[in-house]
Amino acid sequence: MKKLKRNAVPYLYIAPTVILMAVLLVLPIFNVIRYSFYDNAFVKKNPSPVGWLNYQKVLADPVFWQSVRETTFFVIVSIVGHILIALIFAHLLNTTMFKQRTKTLARIVYILPWIFTATVISVMWKLIFQPAGVMNYLLGFIGLATKNTEWFSNKDIALYVVTYINLWSGYPFYMISVLAGLQGISPDLYESSAIDGATSFKSFLYITLPQLKPILLSLVMLDFVWTLKTFAIVWTLTAGGPMHATEIISLYIYRTAFMENHYSLASAAAVFLLIVCMIVAVFYTRQQFKIQED
Amino acid sequence: MATITLKNISKVFESTGKKKSEENTRTLAVSDFNLEIKDKEFVVLVGPSGCGKSTTLRMIAGLEEISSGELYIDDVLVNDIEPKDRDIAMVFQNYALYPHMTVYDNIAYPLKLHKVPKAEIQERVMEAARILDIEQYLKRKPKALSGGQRQRVAIGRAIVRNPKVLLMDEPLSNLDAKLRNQMRAEIIALRSKINTTFVYVTHDQTEAMTLGDRIVIMKDGFIQQAASPQDAFDHPANIFVAGFIGAPSMNFFPGKLLRQGDVYCVQVEDLIVQLPEEKCARLAGKDVQPQDITVGVRPSHINVDTGVENELTGTINVSEMMGTEVHLHVKSSGNDVVIIVPVIGSYASYEKYLRQDEVVKFSFTGEACHVFDSEGKNLEF
Repeated sequence: MKKLKRNAVPYLYIAPTVILMAVLLVLPIFNVIRYSFYDNAFVKKNPSPVGWLNYQKVLADPVFWQSVRETTFFVIVSIVGHILIALIFAHLLNTTMFKQRTKTLARIVYILPWIFTATVISVMWKLIFQPAGVMNYLLGFIGLATKNTEWFSNKDIALYVVTYINLWSGYPFYMISVLAGLQGISPDLYESSAIDGATSFKSFLYITLPQLKPILLSLVMLDFVWTLKTFAIVWTLTAGGPMHATEIISLYIYRTAFMENHYSLASAAAVFLLIVCMIVAVFYTRQQFKIQED
Repeated sequence: MATITLKNISKVFESTGKKKSEENTRTLAVSDFNLEIKDKEFVVLVGPSGCGKSTTLRMIAGLEEISSGELYIDDVLVNDIEPKDRDIAMVFQNYALYPHMTVYDNIAYPLKLHKVPKAEIQERVMEAARILDIEQYLKRKPKALSGGQRQRVAIGRAIVRNPKVLLMDEPLSNLDAKLRNQMRAEIIALRSKINTTFVYVTHDQTEAMTLGDRIVIMKDGFIQQAASPQDAFDHPANIFVAGFIGAPSMNFFPGKLLRQGDVYCVQVEDLIVQLPEEKCARLAGKDVQPQDITVGVRPSHINVDTGVENELTGTINVSEMMGTEVHLHVKSSGNDVVIIVPVIGSYASYEKYLRQDEVVKFSFTGEACHVFDSEGKNLEF
């Protein structure tokens, strides 16, 4: 009895977390998968199983494929942009060229986008990009825009603008992470590299990048998952329009489920998203294990 | 394979106060440093922490800007030349190995940067690995190596491209005592295998004495003496050098310099000893007058219980049995005196020196005396 009690203690400690995760994480995922195999769950009182029908419908929907293409663009450009901006800004903040006071000021300015919520960011950029806004006024000087340029209503450029705003709102986290990584690299390595004959660029290539590799890999994977499920900022900017031009996959799922009330179709689309996220999560976990082993 | 000339080199570190109320501070790290290092010479910069030795080395490497003065490598002014263009190599105190590269890649890195063909890189890395006996570790990452092995890799990386100058910044200070002795011997052996000019920084006077052709003793940014190890030991320029070089440190007694014609004597308490002819001639040549002095005598040059007239006396505070000798820490007229007594003969002959509070009598000869004036300068110089 005593032994049983002792064995139970650790499980009791982790029980609250396990229960919370089961209720908040496992159960909803399980339900989404279940709904995807039913005939319009939620709406019908007694939905009947339909096998793979919902998946076939989703795969046959041209808007879904358009959404996949837009999501791919949105995710890849966001990741590459975030990492590049993070590397450049973190280097600027880490350089010895500027005084500490300047760097502290720059750090505050650089981090500003991160403290705004998605709605504030949307309102702000909507004002900037509105036809009579600052952006058209400024770009008008170099002939790139006129008073009538519509940024969010033009289906050919709306996605670019939304991606740009997502880049702007998300980079501070990546910048701070890269900065922490940079500060963890021993200055001796750069001195040694300089004496060994390296230019600044070669030191970046052979010392900085390999040293930042674990952190960059983690950031890429996190960014992939986070960008893939971005919703609020795009929804508040364009609500997926015009003509689905900015309807990334999370908006597609939302529209299908909550505006068209096709919960089962939305569940099937969500399962696709889940599978992609799971694959990345497996890579992420394996990579984290590898870092720990190293 | 290069000469190095340092002309009036100074280094000032300026730091600005963080708050407006704080003043900017200027720290003089190296002051008016003049030194000519000959081709293939092994020069050791030695001194206590903060004396400017590492800063001087880093200025030679190009890692630290020179505030004033001129630095020449092979008669070329290199003040404004980047480290990569100075054809130097450096071994760092904490090795500074690239953790993401294997031992092979670490050693090959400088050659790769200098665009040496792959076949030649392989050949030269293997040669360096053979010299340093690290061939079996080439595929390992630095973290899988011991401190001594890492140090060898760092040295390998430095010697692989036959630099004009090899700089070493306290390379042995992270190793344990036994490994340090072993690596010291290996650096001496290495020197005979590679033809290059060495500049070595250490705070350990034993390393300085055993490695250097010439040692440069520094304090507070100033050179105190630049001489061969034996010369610095036998003829220290001032009290600082006398106390820094040699272990245990030299003993200092307040005393008097007496003169009769060209004959000089020193007096410590009642003990009067005559200086040897050679020293007297040097003092007489400078017409040194009788004065209050500090007399320096090395622990191994103090004799115990010799029965000479007016011997000094003291009581043993601590005695350390070292095997072949006993180090006595003796309290004598307010001075702490260290005396080395050789262990010869039967236990009974030295047993008394192992007893605390035992009274010992000691003296020294004129040959053993170093005489310093009130400012600490050696009167013979």
